[in-house]
Amino acid sequence: MSILSVSFLLFILGLCLVYFLVPKRFQWWVLLAFSLGFYALGGLLSLPWLLLTALSAWATARYIQDRADAEKAFLAAHKAELSKEERSARKAKGKKTRRRALTLCILLNVGVLCVFKYVHFLLAQANALAGLFGGEVRDSVRWIVPLGVSFYTFQTLGYLCDVYWGKAKAERNPLKLLLFTSFFPQITQGPISAWNDLSAQLFAPHSLDYDSFSLGAQRLIWGFFKKMVAANILSGYVSDVFANYGSYSGLATFLGALCYAAQIYADFSGYMDIMCGLCQILGIRLTENFERPYFSKSVAEYWRRWHMSLGVWFKNYVYYPIAVSKWNQRLGKWAKKRLGKAFGNYLPATLALVVTWLATGLWHGASWGYIAWGGVNGLFIIFSMWMEGPYAKWKKALRIRESAWLWRAFQVGRTFLLVTFIKVLPEVGSLRDGLGLWKRIFTEHSLPHSLSELLPFVGDRRPLLAVLFSVGLMFLVSLLQRKGSVRALLRRRVPYLLRICVFVFLFFLILYFGVPASGGLGDFIYAQY
Amino acid sequence: MDELLEILNDINPDVDYETEDRLIDGKVYDSFSIITLISNISETFNIELGPEHLIPENFNSAAAMWKMIQSILDEE
Repeated sequence: MSILSVSFLLFILGLCLVYFLVPKRFQWWVLLAFSLGFYALGGLLSLPWLLLTALSAWATARYIQDRADAEKAFLAAHKAELSKEERSARKAKGKKTRRRALTLCILLNVGVLCVFKYVHFLLAQANALAGLFGGEVRDSVRWIVPLGVSFYTFQTLGYLCDVYWGKAKAERNPLKLLLFTSFFPQITQGPISAWNDLSAQLFAPHSLDYDSFSLGAQRLIWGFFKKMVAANILSGYVSDVFANYGSYSGLATFLGALCYAAQIYADFSGYMDIMCGLCQILGIRLTENFERPYFSKSVAEYWRRWHMSLGVWFKNYVYYPIAVSKWNQRLGKWAKKRLGKAFGNYLPATLALVVTWLATGLWHGASWGYIAWGGVNGLFIIFSMWMEGPYAKWKKALRIRESAWLWRAFQVGRTFLLVTFIKVLPEVGSLRDGLGLWKRIFTEHSLPHSLSELLPFVGDRRPLLAVLFSVGLMFLVSLLQRKGSVRALLRRRVPYLLRICVFVFLFFLILYFGVPASGGLGDFIYAQY
Repeated sequence: MDELLEILNDINPDVDYETEDRLIDGKVYDSFSIITLISNISETFNIELGPEHLIPENFNSAAAMWKMIQSILDEE
């Protein structure tokens, strides 16, 4: 079911009605029924894979929890009888058993994810390799990738690891874990929530509350506005530039890249606003995914503010476990002795970052473009980390004050341009196309003589005005968000009737510009990941 | 505790570790500082720190870190 359809509006209307009419103890059942219904409407064939993930994680987490509890009870009961060595041996044995169960479940689920996501890519590489020897590997695989498999697999594996590490308690009811896995507002594009954050919200009773309804509905409209007016109109421009950059000027191609930066932000954050708004109406607080990312002062900071839930996931379940693993710590210790303290400190983090960023690239898509994209992001972050000391010295020598607004503006502008260039790399087509687009920007210097030469990808100019207005509005909102929620600010400063007018105006812009732009362009960029 | 304070001051000498209790939540320490901290604590106190110990409550203050170290040493 498309999020930008009347059916979806009827779906959420039905959900809200049933959700607030049933006794509160049944509210989570309603969420489960609607989530499974939403998922089944997207394709019944995907449902068994979702069930496999939820049930395997439920059973494994129960097993891990029961074993850990039994071990704790045994050790407590036999405290006086067991020596320190015996206690340690028992703990080590128990941990090994639990780790084995965890590994099996991770392999099963990551295996399913990899088979669905990477089989075509791997077959293409095998075919290229076979071609060198005159052979051929045919890709006859024709299956449908389960909806949201990248998101729900990560979310569920996060739960499993948390239970293994004792950070979360295993859920005893399999249907509750199924709701956590399949919760429809987040299944197609995240956020990837932690069990401890989301479960408390999902299973708590919620009443219909005017403030939540009003603020949630405002955010919902804002999200539709960002997606349907800004992202969908820009999508037409961006597709044109990516397809024809070879015949456009460097400046027009650069403007196309900027359009892509605005489009992907409006698209992804628009989706988040729609879903966070809907959840707010239901009384559920979803994990936020954005914190004004284009105002970041470094690539590392940008990744702490863009798709935050994915960044936190990779940090908690990939980066930290690799960085603090025994072998990596030993390597760091060895490097400290032989290559100096600083090198030894940086090495474990660097290795963990390399793996994390290549994995992040692969998570986004099975192509060399995404692997390069992850690599370039990782390279900037690792380079900045190693250069932190020299940078501090240079800034001191040049008398640069960190708090000076000009310096901060420079950092924000530089980071925005860097992430924009990195973003377009995998999106143009192949990696060769991405690099070709970069080359075009830097090597084609002809100056435009008219607006149509400057913006060759713009046909009708009226939607362009809507884009300029919506991007300007998003910029203004981001500026205001520095001091807190804009909806709260509107409530404090703007009279009720005027506030209504603002959202009615946005609604009409959606109808006038957004609806025509959304025919055939309704898909969200992050839904493909 | 002195050994721990030495490690912490080595990572960031500008923090008052007697009073600071939001080292992680307040983003005083980034992920790289945390890795360096874990390496140095493991080495100095000869203990094993894993992902299970990586929760903000264990690293938000010097006192919390000290408590965690003591509890691991007691367990071992």
